[in-house]
Parts: sequence; structure tokens; C-alpha cells
Amino acid sequence: MSMNVQPDLEFIKDMKSAGGDTLKKCFQCATCSVVCPLSTDGNPFPRREMVFAQWGLKEKLVGDPNVMLCHQCGDCTTYCPRGAKPGDVLGAIRAYAYKHFGWPKGLANLASSGKNLPLLIGMPAVIILVVWIISGGLHFPSAEDFGRYGYGHFFGHWDFNLLAKNVFFIDLIILPTVALSLYAAYRGVSNMWRLMAENAGVGQPLYRPSASQFIKEFLWPSVVEIVQHTRFKKCTTNADRLKGHLPLLLSFLALFFVTAYSAFTQDVIGIFIPEMHGPMSMWNPVKILANVAAIALIVGVGILWGNRARKEAEGKATPTFYDWFLIWMIMGVGVTGLAAELFRLIGVVSVGYIIYYLHLVSVMMLFLYMPYTKFAHMVYRTFAMAFERYRESAYVKSPLAE
Amino acid sequence: MDKKVYGAYLCTGCGIGDVLDIDALKSTASSAGMAMQDHSCLCGAEGRALIEKDIAEKGVNTIVVCACSPRVMQNEFNFGEDTITVRGNIREQAAWIGGKTENGEVDEFQQEVAQDYVRMAVVRAQKTQQPVPYKLETINKKILVLGGGIAGMTAALEASKAGYEATIVEKEGVLGGKANGWRKQFPTSYPYAALEENSIAKLITAVQSDARITVKTSSEVARISGAPGDFTATIKAAGSKTEWDAPAKVTVDEQEKIDKGELPDPNAGLKKYTEKNPDGETFGSVVLATGWRPADVSEYEHLGYGKIKNVVTNAEFEKLAKDGKVPAKVAFIQSPGGKEHDKDFPYCNSVTSMVALKQAKYVREDNADGQAYIIYQHMRTPGNMEMFYKGVQQDDGIFLTKGSVTGVEEQGGGLVVHADDTLLGESLDLQVDMVVLAAGMVPTTVDAPTINLAYRQGPAFLDLDIFDGYADSHFICFPYETRRTGVYACGGVRKAETMEETMDDATGAALKAIQCIESANRGVAVHPRAGDQTYPDFFFQRCTQCKRCTEECPFGALDDDAKGTPLPNPTRCRRCGTCMGACPERIINFADYSIDMIGSMVKSVEVPSDDEDKLRIIVFVCENDAYPALDMSGMHRNNLNKLVRFIPVRCLGSMNMVWIKDAMSSGMDGALLMGCKWGDDYQCHFVKGSEIANRRMENIGETLGTLGLEPERCSVRQVAISDYDKIPQMIEEFVQEIIELGPNPFKGF
Repeated sequence: MSMNVQPDLEFIKDMKSAGGDTLKKCFQCATCSVVCPLSTDGNPFPRREMVFAQWGLKEKLVGDPNVMLCHQCGDCTTYCPRGAKPGDVLGAIRAYAYKHFGWPKGLANLASSGKNLPLLIGMPAVIILVVWIISGGLHFPSAEDFGRYGYGHFFGHWDFNLLAKNVFFIDLIILPTVALSLYAAYRGVSNMWRLMAENAGVGQPLYRPSASQFIKEFLWPSVVEIVQHTRFKKCTTNADRLKGHLPLLLSFLALFFVTAYSAFTQDVIGIFIPEMHGPMSMWNPVKILANVAAIALIVGVGILWGNRARKEAEGKATPTFYDWFLIWMIMGVGVTGLAAELFRLIGVVSVGYIIYYLHLVSVMMLFLYMPYTKFAHMVYRTFAMAFERYRESAYVKSPLAE
Repeated sequence: MDKKVYGAYLCTGCGIGDVLDIDALKSTASSAGMAMQDHSCLCGAEGRALIEKDIAEKGVNTIVVCACSPRVMQNEFNFGEDTITVRGNIREQAAWIGGKTENGEVDEFQQEVAQDYVRMAVVRAQKTQQPVPYKLETINKKILVLGGGIAGMTAALEASKAGYEATIVEKEGVLGGKANGWRKQFPTSYPYAALEENSIAKLITAVQSDARITVKTSSEVARISGAPGDFTATIKAAGSKTEWDAPAKVTVDEQEKIDKGELPDPNAGLKKYTEKNPDGETFGSVVLATGWRPADVSEYEHLGYGKIKNVVTNAEFEKLAKDGKVPAKVAFIQSPGGKEHDKDFPYCNSVTSMVALKQAKYVREDNADGQAYIIYQHMRTPGNMEMFYKGVQQDDGIFLTKGSVTGVEEQGGGLVVHADDTLLGESLDLQVDMVVLAAGMVPTTVDAPTINLAYRQGPAFLDLDIFDGYADSHFICFPYETRRTGVYACGGVRKAETMEETMDDATGAALKAIQCIESANRGVAVHPRAGDQTYPDFFFQRCTQCKRCTEECPFGALDDDAKGTPLPNPTRCRRCGTCMGACPERIINFADYSIDMIGSMVKSVEVPSDDEDKLRIIVFVCENDAYPALDMSGMHRNNLNKLVRFIPVRCLGSMNMVWIKDAMSSGMDGALLMGCKWGDDYQCHFVKGSEIANRRMENIGETLGTLGLEPERCSVRQVAISDYDKIPQMIEEFVQEIIELGPNPFKGF
């Protein structure tokens, strides 16, 4: 079986602009494959990916699970004798892949370039502002109300107690955003999965796992591995990254729990017990967890920020919008969230409301652009890890065949 | 030097006095006929003063220094042109091969080694003569340059810069050679990134405006006769035939048949090779820069050259690029091997790799969306050209992979290249508009003698097949040299090379040519015996016209006169002494190296006739690699068997078999020859010497057999200069073989 080669020069240009500017320097010595823990005998990763990239073979790359499995430990870049920075090239390939699998295309393209930053911020800002205006909540409450309801009446208040006005408007913004984001991620991941299966030659599995089998055998172990940071711990060059990524990931999980708890207590239980509305007591264990998580989030992303800045200053990494955009967004969410809380506590209404508005904007950005930015690694990598388990499983490889 | 006045000196320094009995050594010298003085540091100022005092007061002119190896302290023991210094190597090859016995006494065996070396040195001093250099009556210092391409023009310019006149003979109507056809050239300066404009025009202008350079275009050399310092070249119109064309080689047997009319004379109508053209031009030396031709690649059927329209060679592609625009999608194939092997096309090397890189750039220059694929087995970009490679590799539209090209096919309107075992881990099908094959650069010496010498050994260089036809004699050891003294090769005729390499090469060859002229002028040898004033002296009255010397001379130095007697050309000679070794009449000798001298040295070794423990083995050691290796073994203080005696020889080729007979008849038990490696990857400094010696030894074995001696008593070993640590073992093994054979039955007679 031979491959009909049609190099895509645009793809090469694209990768070069997304941090892979060094990709053509590779001369296939395979030092990267020697140091890379993902490389196996028959699969010299990332040497082969480097030549694919040089030859502009994008179909090979976007459906390559290893590209997604790489967590950019940076060993390959450190040891590369030619300065080809395979780690950065792989990052560029991932950036391209997210764009490639992204839906709708326009949004995916928009989110991939720093040039569009005004629009990327402007769109959610306008949407929320418009909703804020429509809701009629666009005014600063009295200090007393602010102290009592916090940002609970940001979008105003009505007496229909089955669904608070604030909740309605927040849901109006966030639910479609999340829905779009989840659908885009689902589409992207299924396309990636199909391509990976095709490239790995597992078009027709022996048996098809059921959804629950799939989750139990492939997805859940991958999630556990991610949370435990097993692979990060093997990093040498980028060992510091664990210190940032681990608190960040845990804070995300904690904040997810806190948000869910808060939504449940306020918007479900609150229907029956109106006292549940309003800000939680600072001594509520859940509130303590929320605050700890918020600080962990800022500290975690701050460490990653520092690491990246340092590596770029040392010339060991190429600054790209792809990498920085996610850091900025998370930092934005963390800082505006915490600041909004602080201003609520000290009771400065105007500043607090404006910061809360910005917080909503940054949260919307994080959700909306998730499938197209570096944040997409959350889903793509998780499923690539599931695929890694899947392709070695008895569903694909008959244990009797060998 | 009217009369020899001897002075013999012994050094006791460097540990010599610690292990040897100095008084006994001195009395050995006395019994051999020379009174010997000793000093604890003969090479020091005080020691030298001792000798200089004797020179001044007693008129000593022939000095025997028994001390370190003749390879060291040469300046210290050089007392001027009017003196001869003979060195006895009692340090590296006697004092340093072992120590005193356990009782602290002098080792009897070791002492005998040193005493024999003292005897040999004394005999050598008695037999040697002061050399008188051979000088041509007139010397011509002009340099003939064959070929007016980059190599030839650079050589002429470099010769001119050094003050020598040069004449370029170019076959084509214009200067410039192949380089006239290049669209661009490789980068020559930092950062070695961009292709440069072709600089050949500048070179042509420089040559044309140089007053010391004469250019003859549309011309070629019919024949070159004579010898360095006095070559006569007949220059003719290119492609024409003249009576002065170089005659083909005719062997003795063939000549007999021609004389009987059984064989047509290949040289009918041509002047005899010994005849000198009175209208010829004289030159001092020759630079061969006749270059190369593009190789034919039609033999590789799977690549479709000659059958498929758009499959071209790199040379053809260059012409296409020079004349206009090249296609947008081009595959460059560097190796024809398919699945079978990974060899490049014949006559390829780094140049063809770099040409592919250069031509890939043309594809990109001429087409906005150009795509160039290079499929190689070897990508060779030596030195700074690595930066050129890096630059080309950076180009988005240039794709490189190692791979075996299994076929080229026509498909639709274009071509498809199939390649296996690529770096992409899969077989590839490349759709392209054109395929370029990296055809090699065949040296002109593959097709024709090119140099057209009027020599007895024929018009061409000998045995070029071991260098794939390149005009070479040993790429590493003898750069630019050929097996014809005074003829130096450079450029594409010597190796497939780039313009830059060619220029370096041509400079080297031009300097070699000048060196040769100046050596001839002073009557001394060229490399590897540079500066040697001696030359072979023939005692013709006893010559039997057997022609062994003329046949065996590796450098074709000997012609025949009308009667068939050797006609020496001393400036062609490299002084290896192969003729001396060949001569059955033993009439060829050098002033300081003769049959009698070495024979007498052999005979001067004391052979105990009644002691079975004291066998004697003579070892003739090539001075070029084996002798230095032996010295190095001594310097490493390796123990060495003390039954052997070493005699240095110029080259094993100079080994006259009479010395073996001398050794055997004086009761020695074995004889060994140690010289350079021979064969296709020879290391012999005179190309053929060790090989010839080995052949002679096979014959002497038979002779010994008829005398009732075991042929195994004589043997040859090949030694590389790096073998110094293996030498003691090599000697030991031979001695053990001799011990098993037992003593020479003729001992004592």
C-alpha cells in the first residue's frame, strides 16, 4: 500500500505561523524519538510526525493520536540538535487540528488568530451587554441590596419564584454557549476518532463497545490518569509545569462542583426555601472550597504564565497566540471572579458590578472558544487517551490473532 | 670527497648505557675497523662538539653515529654537505627492546643485537658514496595545463601568481568548460544560504588578461614525451589525427608478432615513442585538468531514462534551467538501486547531492507553487555546505526523504515516482511533471588515455581501474599525484567535486607542478623521497636487455633505446629502487644504497655456528611505514625478540633477492620482509613495490626449495604504520616458525 503524496503548502505555512516555524529544520536524526516516552519501536514519535509536517501531510497529522497524547513535556525540544523544536511543532499541529475539526468553521478560524482578539472579546462583551440592557438590570443597586443579594440581582429581579430572573438571563447566555461548545466538541472529537481509527487501520472493530463499556474501559481510566497527572510526573525538562497544571485542574474540578452546588441550592432548593438565595456565608465549607479553588486557579495559571514567559525569554519556546490566549482567558476568569467577590465584601457597588460583568464576559469566552483554542485539549486529549487504550484493546486487536 | 676519513661515535644516553656493555660495543667497532668514542649525550652541544672537533682536526668526513633511530635527531647529526652521516639504531631497536637480566647483568642476546647494528653501521659507512645530483642540461619551467575549465584555469592562475608561465590547452572553442552551462553556483561564503551568480566569466577574464598564461583553444595534446623539467608536448587541432599522436603500448611478445607480420602494428603511421618532435613545445611539468562528462543512466530501466520523455539527467536539467523556466513539480532521484542496494549512481558523491539541492531551488524560484522532491540514499553536504543544506531544507516547497525509488511511470499527463522505505514510514507515489536523475561525473580518463604520454609503458596512467578510472594514485597519501612524475591531476578528472573544491584542488596541483620543476632543477627526488639527491646508476656494459626494470618501474621512468637497453629518465624517477630489486645482473645501484652495501650489511651480522639457541633472522624493513612502526614499538618499550636483525630498505620493491641468498649462505635461519599493504587498497608509497616484492619472494621460495631449504624460511608481512603494537607479536610468530624448522643446515659452511 503506498501513499499518494499531496503536500499542502498552506498547511505548512499555517503551522509555521502557529509556533511551528522551526519544523523544516528537522533532519530526521530521531533524537526526539529516543527521549520521547510516547515513542515505540514501530512508531518513532515525533520523528515521523516531523517529516509528515515537513511534507505538509495534514490528514496524517490531525488524525494522529500521538499528536494529541503529547503533553509537551519539552524533552524533544531540549535535546533536538537542530533547533527544530518538535514540541512546539506538535503544539502547532494541535492548534491546527482544533481548527480543522472546529465547527462552525468561521468561529474556529476566528479563535485561532491573535488578529481577531478585539472581535473575540467584543462579541461576548456586546452579547452580555445587550442582554444586560434587555433584562433591565443595567443599574447599580443600593448598598443594602448589594450586601444582601450580591450579584444575585445583576440582571434584575422578578417575582416568579420558580425561576429567578438572574438565573434566567444567565442561562440565556451560558446554556446556548455551552450547548454550542459541547456540540462542536462532540463533532470534532467524533471526526478525530474516525480519522484516528482509519489511520490506525481499525476501520471495522471486531466488536463495538457499548457506551457504558466505552466509558468504563477507556474514558474513565483516561480521566483518572489525567487527574493524577501520571504523565506530567514523568517530565524532566518541563517538571515545573506540574506545579501549575495540577492546582489549575483541581481548581477547575472544585469550581465545577461549587457552581453545581450553588446552582442546586439556590435555584432548586431556593424555590422552596427563599433564604437559600444570596451569597453564601464565608464560613460555609463550600464557600471555603470555592475561595481556595479560586486562589488555586490564579496561582496555578500564574505558575504556567511564569514558566512560559521564562522559556520564551530563554528562547526555548516560541510565543504564540494559541498558547497565550488560554492563559489569558483563565487568568481573566480567575481574577475577575475573585475581584468581584472582594468588591462585594467591601461593598463597592459600581466597581464590583463592572468587574462582575467582565467576569461573565471571560467565562463566556472560555466556554464559547473551548473547542477551538488550546482549551480544546481538555476533550481532544482525553479522547485520544481513550483511543490509545481502545486501539490496544481486544475490541480492535484479537488476542487470538497474535 | 676524495678520501673517506671515518669517525665513529657511540651515545650512552637515553638508557643505552644502562642496558648495554659500552666497552664491548666499542671493541666491536674497532674489530670492524673503526675506533669508536662514546659520549653520554651525543646529540647535545657537547657531544656534537666532540664530532665537530674531529671534523676540524682530523678531517673526518664519514661519521658513524650509533645512537637513536635515523628518523630522529636528523638536524643534530647533520654536519654539512661535505660529510656523510651513517646512523646505527641501537636505541629504538636495541636498547629499548628489553632490559637487563634478573641478576642485573647485561642481557647477552640484547648485547649481540646492538653489536650487530654497530657492525652494520660501520659497513654501511664503508660502502656508501657521496651522492652527486642528476641535473638536466636545460630546465624548462613552463607548466602545461590540459583543460580550460575551472580546474585548468585556476591552476594556470595559481602558477602565474607564483611566477611561472602556463599554457592552457582546451579542446572546446572557448574557455570555461562545463561551468559555462551552470545557471547558478553553490554559495561560497557565510552564511552559505543563497545560490550565487555563476562566476566563471570572471575567471575567464582573469585568465585572458594574465600575461603569463597562454591559451590554446580548439586544441588538444597529441603526445607528451620527455621527463619533468624537459617535457615536449605536441599540440594539435582538437579531433584531428597526426603522426605525433601518442603510440599505444606494445609488449615484447606483441612486438615479436608485429615483426613477423602476425599482428597489425597499432602504431603504424605514428612516430616512435622515443622520437622527439622538433616542433614540439617544451614544458617543465603538466597539470591534468581535463574534467568529466555526464554519465549515461539509461541502464536503469525502472527509471525510464531514454524511454519516458520527462525523465532527464541533472546535467540536462541544468541546461533547461539555464535556458528558461523549469516545471513546477519535480522529483530528484539520487540513487538508482531500487530495492537491491543503496548505492548512488556511479561517479556520484557530494556534488550530485548538492546539485539536487541547487536544482530544487530552481523549481522554487521559477514557480510560485513549486514543489521539489529529493529522494536520496545519501545526502552529502560536507563542511560549510551543511548550512546550504539547512537553508534549502527550510524551504516550504522542498521535500526531502531517504528512500528507494522502485520505478517511474507515465500516468495521465505526468509522471509518478514510486518510492519504498521512506522516512515517512510508508511507500510513496509522487505525482510530478519531471524526474531528474543524479547522473554521475565520469572522469575523462575512463574513456581515453587523455594524458597521451610517449612512454614505453604506454600513453595512459596505469591501473586506474582500482580508482574507478579517476586519475589518482592514492587519494589520501598522494593528493594530485599520478603514477607519472610531473603530471598532477585536479578537478573532475581526479574526483567528482564542486567548483570550490576544484579551485582548492587546482591550487594544490599547480603547487605540486612547481615543486616538481624545482626538484628537477636541483636534481632531487619529488615526494615521497623529496630531496633525495641519489638516482639509479646503471652499469650498462653488463645489461642483458631483460627489460625487467623497464617493465616493473611503477612510474614508467625507463624507456628503451634502439637496442632495447633501458633508457633512464632520472627526473621521472621517484628513487624507490624497484629497478634495483628487479635487476638479475645487479647493475642498478644508488650512491648511498647498493646491492653490495646491503649485501655486506647482511654478511656483517655475526652468526653463531654452534649455538642452537642463537638463531639469526634477518628482516628487511620498508623505510616508509614498517621502520617507523618498529621505532614506535621501541618507543613504547615493547619487548622484541632478540634473534632478529633489521635492515631498512627504501621500499620492498628494491629488495634484490640476492640479499636473501646472502643471508642464507651466511648461515642465517630465516628472512622476513616487512612492507606496506598491497592490492586494490594499497599503502605502498611507491604503489607497486610491496606487491612486486611479494611476487619475487614466491619465486625465491622455489629457488630455496631446490637448494634443500624450506621455502617457509622466507616470508613477507604487510605492516601499517599504526601496527606498532602488533609488530613484536608478528616477529615472535615468525621466529617461532623458524625455531620449529630448526637451524639452517648450511650454517658454518
